[in-house]
Amino acid sequence: MKLIKSLAMATALVGIATTAFAQDSDPIKIGVPVGLSGANSVVAPSVVQAAELAVEEINEEGGILGRTVTLEIADDQSGAAGAQKAFDSLVYQHEVDVIISMETSAARNAGLPIVSRGGVPYIYTSFYEGRSCNPYLFVNAWVPEQQVPPVVDQFMEKDGAKKFFLIGSDYAFGRGMLEFARKYIEDNGGEVVGEEYLPMDGSDWTAIISNLKSSGADALVTSTAGGAPNVTLTKQLRGAGVDLPYGNLAVDEGTAKTMGADAAGIYISASYVTGIDSDENKAFLKAMDDKFGEDLRTPNDLSVPQYEGVYLYKAAVEKAGSTDPDAVLAALAEVSFTGPRGAISMNKQHHAPLNMYLGQVQEDGSVTVVNTFQNVDPGEQCPNL
Amino acid sequence: MLILDILTTAAVLFIVSAGLLAIFGVLKIINFAHGAWLTIGAYCAVIVAGLGLNPWLALPLAFLVGGALGGVTEHFIVRPLYQRPLDAILATWGLGIVVGQLITLWFGRDVQFTPGLLSGTVDVFGISYSLYRLFALGAAVVIGLGFAFLLEGTRLGLTAQAVIMNETLAKGLGIDTGKVRLATFVIGTGLTALAGVLLTPLTSVDPTMGVAWLIGAFMLVMVAGSSFGALAVACLVFGGAQVIVSTFVSPILGGITVAVLCALVLRISPKGFARA
Amino acid sequence: MPDANTLAAPALRRPRIIRSYLLIALAVTALVLVVFGPSFLDRFSLNVLTRSMIYALLAITVDLLWGYTGILTFGQAAFFGVGAYASAMVLSHVGGSPALIALSFALAILVPVVLGLLVGWLSFYHGSTPLYATVVSLVVPIVITQIVYSGGTWTGSSSGLVGYWGLPLGLAGFFRLSGLCLVVAAVAACIFVRSDAGKVLIAIRDNDTRCAYLGLNTQKIRILLTAVLAGVAGLAGFLFANASGVVAPENTGFVFGTELVVWTALGGRGTIIGPVLGTIGIDFLSANLSGRLPFLYQLLIGSLFVLMIIFLPNGLAAIATAAFSRFGGRSGDALDNPKLVALDDAERQSAPIGAGDPLLKIEGLKKAYGSQIVLQGIDVEIRAGELVSLVGPNGAGKTTLMRCLSDGREDIDGRISVSGADISGLVPNRIVGLGVGRKFQVASVFDSLTVAECLRMARASLDRPNWFAQSRELALPAPAVEILTLTGLSGLLGQKVSLLSHGQKQALELAMVVALEPRLILLDEPTAGLTKTERTTIGTVLQRLTGDLGLAAILVEHDLEFVRDISSRIVVLHQGKLVLDGSVDEVVNSQTVKEIYSGGGHD
Repeated sequence: MKLIKSLAMATALVGIATTAFAQDSDPIKIGVPVGLSGANSVVAPSVVQAAELAVEEINEEGGILGRTVTLEIADDQSGAAGAQKAFDSLVYQHEVDVIISMETSAARNAGLPIVSRGGVPYIYTSFYEGRSCNPYLFVNAWVPEQQVPPVVDQFMEKDGAKKFFLIGSDYAFGRGMLEFARKYIEDNGGEVVGEEYLPMDGSDWTAIISNLKSSGADALVTSTAGGAPNVTLTKQLRGAGVDLPYGNLAVDEGTAKTMGADAAGIYISASYVTGIDSDENKAFLKAMDDKFGEDLRTPNDLSVPQYEGVYLYKAAVEKAGSTDPDAVLAALAEVSFTGPRGAISMNKQHHAPLNMYLGQVQEDGSVTVVNTFQNVDPGEQCPNL
Repeated sequence: MLILDILTTAAVLFIVSAGLLAIFGVLKIINFAHGAWLTIGAYCAVIVAGLGLNPWLALPLAFLVGGALGGVTEHFIVRPLYQRPLDAILATWGLGIVVGQLITLWFGRDVQFTPGLLSGTVDVFGISYSLYRLFALGAAVVIGLGFAFLLEGTRLGLTAQAVIMNETLAKGLGIDTGKVRLATFVIGTGLTALAGVLLTPLTSVDPTMGVAWLIGAFMLVMVAGSSFGALAVACLVFGGAQVIVSTFVSPILGGITVAVLCALVLRISPKGFARA
Repeated sequence: MPDANTLAAPALRRPRIIRSYLLIALAVTALVLVVFGPSFLDRFSLNVLTRSMIYALLAITVDLLWGYTGILTFGQAAFFGVGAYASAMVLSHVGGSPALIALSFALAILVPVVLGLLVGWLSFYHGSTPLYATVVSLVVPIVITQIVYSGGTWTGSSSGLVGYWGLPLGLAGFFRLSGLCLVVAAVAACIFVRSDAGKVLIAIRDNDTRCAYLGLNTQKIRILLTAVLAGVAGLAGFLFANASGVVAPENTGFVFGTELVVWTALGGRGTIIGPVLGTIGIDFLSANLSGRLPFLYQLLIGSLFVLMIIFLPNGLAAIATAAFSRFGGRSGDALDNPKLVALDDAERQSAPIGAGDPLLKIEGLKKAYGSQIVLQGIDVEIRAGELVSLVGPNGAGKTTLMRCLSDGREDIDGRISVSGADISGLVPNRIVGLGVGRKFQVASVFDSLTVAECLRMARASLDRPNWFAQSRELALPAPAVEILTLTGLSGLLGQKVSLLSHGQKQALELAMVVALEPRLILLDEPTAGLTKTERTTIGTVLQRLTGDLGLAAILVEHDLEFVRDISSRIVVLHQGKLVLDGSVDEVVNSQTVKEIYSGGGHD
């Protein structure tokens, strides 16, 4: 409520309810603020590639409502300060029609006031800790309610695990995930025997691993920041000889592949894995391969939602009949698009029910899908929207 | 288990800080590019792995590359700043940014992987413990003893000691202090790069990996002054405190234990452990 | 008080007036830009510049600490972040009513000030090194960032806080508010650093020891400065939290702290205007460029920074000022020659104490460094009006004795009292307060200041310095004026000290010590390296100070002829022991002294 009120006031005070309606011939501009530098720079190129493919395909098919689509990429430096510059530049300098992007939570939060003031719809395509609510914000990636249960269910049912140990990086995502994991474990009759966090830039897990070993846990669930902390933790767990059933909520297919044997046996849970057996996914992978060839960054759980996000916007504009923000926002909650991950619709409080895949990393680093869960509900994310 | 954790944590801290101490002890200059040199060392391991060579070869390679780059740095960047120690901090910090960006441009931002030097666990007093951490303990002892030998048993060490004690006098005695400085910087940076290789089995390798270690190493060196013995004591005390706080209180507090305790120790006893 | 000379040579005052006009013109231009900016700038530039100006406000605080006072700090980011979080947390968790906005404003300033006092206390104590302060300034942002991460929903952890409602200003409003704050802060800082009080910062940077021995509590000044600037940083944080509508952990971090230092360095430390323009320029540029070349951009900034630190430590502003002084005429020396005024005797402190009580009493002094005993069994009493020379060969312990007399924290056995007060444990500036002035062996003055500014520094602990301007007159005790007149320094008041000759610096330091109106002066070889004439002058001055004005003086001296000419008493030290304490004749004719000097002495 407070948000909506403040938003209304902001728009009124700034005195410009956006938008000069564009000429029909003008291209539709899609802004993509993304972490080209900083923590997200590992995954950012794959996100940009996915967006580029989507735009190319749409333009080949005649664009949206007959207008061509262009991309504006901006570096958000994976953080709040950079995101402010990137959003300012996209919203006010390039006057984009929509923002579609995978970003850190800090960058997303920094961008929200700017899209609210500028009146620009914002499709967020990164999984995150949940409960970010704003009339302009739509999310087509997973939240803890969708990702955690497959892993915990697996350990409880298949391995008979009762005692869980949780390890995370001390940041919103890490804490959010494990908070939900604890609740879910306890609701299902399990017990959490330890919950430990290390600062995001921390690299010495010694004490935590010692506590883990002496805790008598029979399963481990971790949710660290992606990249470095995840790798150091996995290496040090292996070094210390920990061989419990291990669910890693932050590892993705690509990282698993490079880590190889160090990651073997780890369970991961995702809304996208390259091995999904559907026509849409095969066509998508082929198109990516044809377009980027050698430079291809393996599509992943962050880049595929980006691809689908562009199509969801297209569907919304076509339903609304224009790029008028209010009309598009109304349409975004209703439209659906069937992409590599299946049919996606952001119809649940601006969030999307998703198919989730439980995978296990093999010795060679590849991921085998162990189980599939259809249409997992995101839960009560934004009851007020 | 706790004792092993403390010992090996202290060992890792010692390995990481030794190169910084060597430079600070003789030159009275804080090398804020220390983190960058750790990174350089780690990427040497990546290169060696990429060439398909024995991972242990990364150790000498890192020492050579780190030392050579250190020599260049001393000559062009540090030399003009001996009289301006605070500016030297800034210039080396800037250099750290430059090195980080160059590595990023060359290798990309991605986390790199290196084959482990040693893997598996061994049984110590009935507990299975990480073999590599025990190896690190040994490596720390070797580095410590190596420095003791270098300082006490070689000509370079003796001249370096003279420079530490009284630079003007050393100059008066005909010691080429410029050369001593260059040699110290080369050894210090070489050693730091070596430490970077030794870190690879414990951490990920990415362009910013060094920064996380920089502050801790910096604080320990501040407390240790210019003595390797004091550094070893500092690593044991503060590394121990870190492990104990992490184990029994909270790992988050553990992460800032070293920095905060060192600052407080310096406040109470400005010379740190150097007097011990 | 004599009237200020209203006829003070107008020709000499012109440069100052030009500078004032320049400052006013700059300020007015800046204000015009700030007020009318929103009408011609696009929204993107408005938004980016609003933040750039807030950062520039921070850069001013970094510049005051680092450029002027010599405290290299990475901690301003922490104070900024604390201010931003304090306001954002109130607005998020309590609410955004006008009263609460006021509360958040107060907290945004108050919390950083308190933190600043704490950090200052930690960083600055007697004997702390500049490096230590830098160390602390590194630790503070790291700790604060960690607290923010651990704060859960209170601080929003890594996601930061967003979606609160603060000051009801639009884009243009925040632009104007930030700009106004920046202009006010920049003008205030410019006025302050040019004022007499502001010169204290430079004096501390140049020569901390001398400041302490001029009776200034430099640690307290540093702590207060840290606290005040922490408050300014908190204000910047408040503006930021309101204008951007989001606060994030990186706003408090040490990396942001280093960025502030980089901007300040590139703009030109020690110039106020330089860091402001540098920050706005670089930040604005990066908003426009970094999206296209993320890594190259940082590489460029990093390289530029390294080169700048090595070759152009004073930043781009140094080039500008150099060019300015080339085209705009001489700006350094000979301007602002203030009028020298002698203070009335009536205004002087209490009259000399009775001749009967000793001014200085040393009882059973013993001083050792480890096992090496440097001084032993020293008992000396000195009364007002005496000029006591301390002689002895090198290594006799003379300079050590002087140090023990002026620094109560020296670890000694025995007792030293000044006017009956035990000085044990007292820091130098407290001892100066007891009426002890010390002149060092090597002239200890402030190289970046002018002669007049140095002298004013000596009065800073006695006369409240002017916070807003540079005084047109320089009021000094009569003896100090006399020294200046005799040595010709009175004609060089506007001269930069770094341009003075060795002898002139010695004379200046003596004048500074005398300007403290001490009752006891400690002089360590005041005539070393002086010409014959200069020595005679100094000798005359010393005799007049002790003989006519009733001060006491202790003089360490090698020139025995000089000693004989002026002393009223001579104390001989040898190998840490007092061997003789007597009149000039007694000592000169003493056999022991002859033996010491022929046997063990080098000099």
